[in-house]
Amino acid sequence: MMRASSVALVALLACACSKGERSATDTTGAAPVRTVSGTRIAFPHAGPAGEWQMPAGDYSSSRYSDLNTITAANAQNLHVAWTFSTGVLRGHEGQPLVIGNTMYVITPYPNVAYAIDLATEGQPLKWKFRPENAQQAAGRACCDVVNRGAAFADGKIFYNLLDGHTVAVDAQTGNQVWRTRMGDLARGETITMAPIVVKNKVIVGSSGGEMGVRGWIAALDVATGKEVWRAYNIGPDRDVKVGPKFKPFYAHDRGKDLGATTWPGDTWKTGGGAVWGWLSYDPDLNLIYHGTSNPGPWNQDQRLGDNKWTAAILARDADTGEMVWAVQTSPHDLWDYDAVNENILVDLPIKGQTRKVLVHFDRNGFEYTIDRATGQILLAEPFVPMNWSDGIDMTTGRPKTRPEKMTAEGKNVKDICPSLEGGKNQQPAAFSPQTGLFYVPTNNLCMDFESRRVTYIAGTPFIGAMAPEKGGPGGYRGEFMAWDATTGKKAWGIKEPYPVWGGALVTAGGVVFYGTLDGWFKAADARTGKLLWKFKVGSGVVGNPVTYTGPDGKQYVAVYAGIGGDMGLLIAGDVAANLPYDVRQRGTTLPDLSRWTSWGGYLFVFSL
Amino acid sequence: MKLAACCALCTLGLATYALTQNSPALSDGGDGLRLVAHNENLAAGFPMSRAPIELTNPHEGDARAVETGKQLFIAYNCIDCHGADGSGAMGPSFQDGRWHFGGSAGAVFESIYQGRPDGMPSWGGRISNDQIWMLTSYVRSLSSADVSTDNFTGATVERTGH
Repeated sequence: MMRASSVALVALLACACSKGERSATDTTGAAPVRTVSGTRIAFPHAGPAGEWQMPAGDYSSSRYSDLNTITAANAQNLHVAWTFSTGVLRGHEGQPLVIGNTMYVITPYPNVAYAIDLATEGQPLKWKFRPENAQQAAGRACCDVVNRGAAFADGKIFYNLLDGHTVAVDAQTGNQVWRTRMGDLARGETITMAPIVVKNKVIVGSSGGEMGVRGWIAALDVATGKEVWRAYNIGPDRDVKVGPKFKPFYAHDRGKDLGATTWPGDTWKTGGGAVWGWLSYDPDLNLIYHGTSNPGPWNQDQRLGDNKWTAAILARDADTGEMVWAVQTSPHDLWDYDAVNENILVDLPIKGQTRKVLVHFDRNGFEYTIDRATGQILLAEPFVPMNWSDGIDMTTGRPKTRPEKMTAEGKNVKDICPSLEGGKNQQPAAFSPQTGLFYVPTNNLCMDFESRRVTYIAGTPFIGAMAPEKGGPGGYRGEFMAWDATTGKKAWGIKEPYPVWGGALVTAGGVVFYGTLDGWFKAADARTGKLLWKFKVGSGVVGNPVTYTGPDGKQYVAVYAGIGGDMGLLIAGDVAANLPYDVRQRGTTLPDLSRWTSWGGYLFVFSL
Repeated sequence: MKLAACCALCTLGLATYALTQNSPALSDGGDGLRLVAHNENLAAGFPMSRAPIELTNPHEGDARAVETGKQLFIAYNCIDCHGADGSGAMGPSFQDGRWHFGGSAGAVFESIYQGRPDGMPSWGGRISNDQIWMLTSYVRSLSSADVSTDNFTGATVERTGH
């Protein structure tokens, strides 16, 4: 098994290879890949192609696999190979890991970890780990009790507990190696995100943007669990780690203590800016990329100013956490547009030049193609129906807002698109160098937004707004699309009756996989978008498919089925109340969804 | 016998927390509510009865308490967990007629006072018992009859795609 230090080394070696080649460790199912000229995933798959060692498969967050046995020509023959019940009926966001002949599954709260033996018929457990995890965490999490997965390094599985702890578990024995308290539950800090491991450090971040937390990202020592650094995203420069290395591209992001002075008084202390989304890492620049959540409260009158560094994409030095650049996608956010969605690191040909970029599909409805060394926005185009902005000003990087869609206390602003769920939310996109396209699960929802004054009370929501949602224009509420980030244009799309809340996987076989809220798991032709195959799984899909090579040499595709997350809130009358049989519809956003799915907690594994 | 001992303990617990509270402010806070006697303020020592004490809401049936409770529901951020009009969000709905910890006035009072393990904070000692009773009045007013069956047959099914 690969150690963390050698992951980075392999990444560097592989960089030196010519386009399309893969490192020598890739022996299972890998084949030379024909790529679109000038197009490349920045850093290759972690470990052998037949394994899935990182949440997104690689540091680039590409969710691309070199496995190519399943193709557009034979995907119609896919069938269920085996299934597994996680024993938990909650939103199953995230994805399993596959290392050697073992699959690692993390459940939603209570965050049980399973090690499944893939080499033995019947897939028996090697071990099961049930962490100590405070039950009151369940009611402190805004959007169901999800967990987005684990990281692996140094023979250990690392993941976060909803009650604010990070744990390391021995991958062989299932014994807890260390457990570190990172968040304060009493102040509404939970943890739901998937960590990554960078150079012997586990990188984790907080949730709780709806609870008036002060968001942070931190690094823990792989061996001991000791905190190495912690950077807040709001507050004075010392706390947010803004210093000599900080060189933002846009002038308005330069200045002293902007993380505090762009807030009235000390409102930054309860200003949100959590890190509950996905992390990427560029080993060449030694930069970690992460987004920050919405500012708190949602009522903008209580926090006039830019509210830095909320609703922003931040680049930080992996060794120290120091901020290197920042792009605030929604300065002084008025619509709960977190910027926590994944940042996909690729090289793309833009205006005749190969550029090292970061591609980000923001909640605010814009796709950003950003120079990942400098933070310069090269392109920003809306990828879903969007009506709050006239576009991004390329000289300042700021969105041009439409006055009639600006929210304020005491106002009820109608028909804002996209809704607070965003044009895309946590459901991660994928990128294929074969097509040069991004595969993006999206939402098509709009909302009304009514703000009111709210008081900060520790451990309770700090929101101050009501924002009922409805379907967006066009008679569909989600679309799975292929997107060209060099032009900002859609290549093809599959319209869905519900928001596409599960992530994407694309393979060298030219197949793209995704699941739907109404419980379909689908395979489409990555070039054309033609639906190749679908299977009705046991519950709505909000998880992310992965692919691996089994001990028998066959290619498998695995995905969780278990509706929940923010979308789970829309189906069930009793979200946080341990009454999983109660699936009555509520609200008007997805009025018919409960006909198609109930709570679930499955792993489905498919093969030819 | 075991059961009775348990009940006595619960009762003692209730009596203790009630007694540690200051009496609710008795002034007319502008909402016109009358002065009330509080059943939860029990005499010191073990109660004579072995039966569990069911707390009663001193504002039972008072529409003004419901209205004040609605304002408190917003002021104390209940609304952002339990949803507008108690329709449910992070926390459970109050509209569906299903109560996870009991729907009587006393049970709802206890849920607010003590908190509940899935994340409901304990408000006892942070706000007055009187306010908890008015929140109880409001929350209980939202409840409708439980509906056991959802029959989807013949319902309009909105679908596109596929």
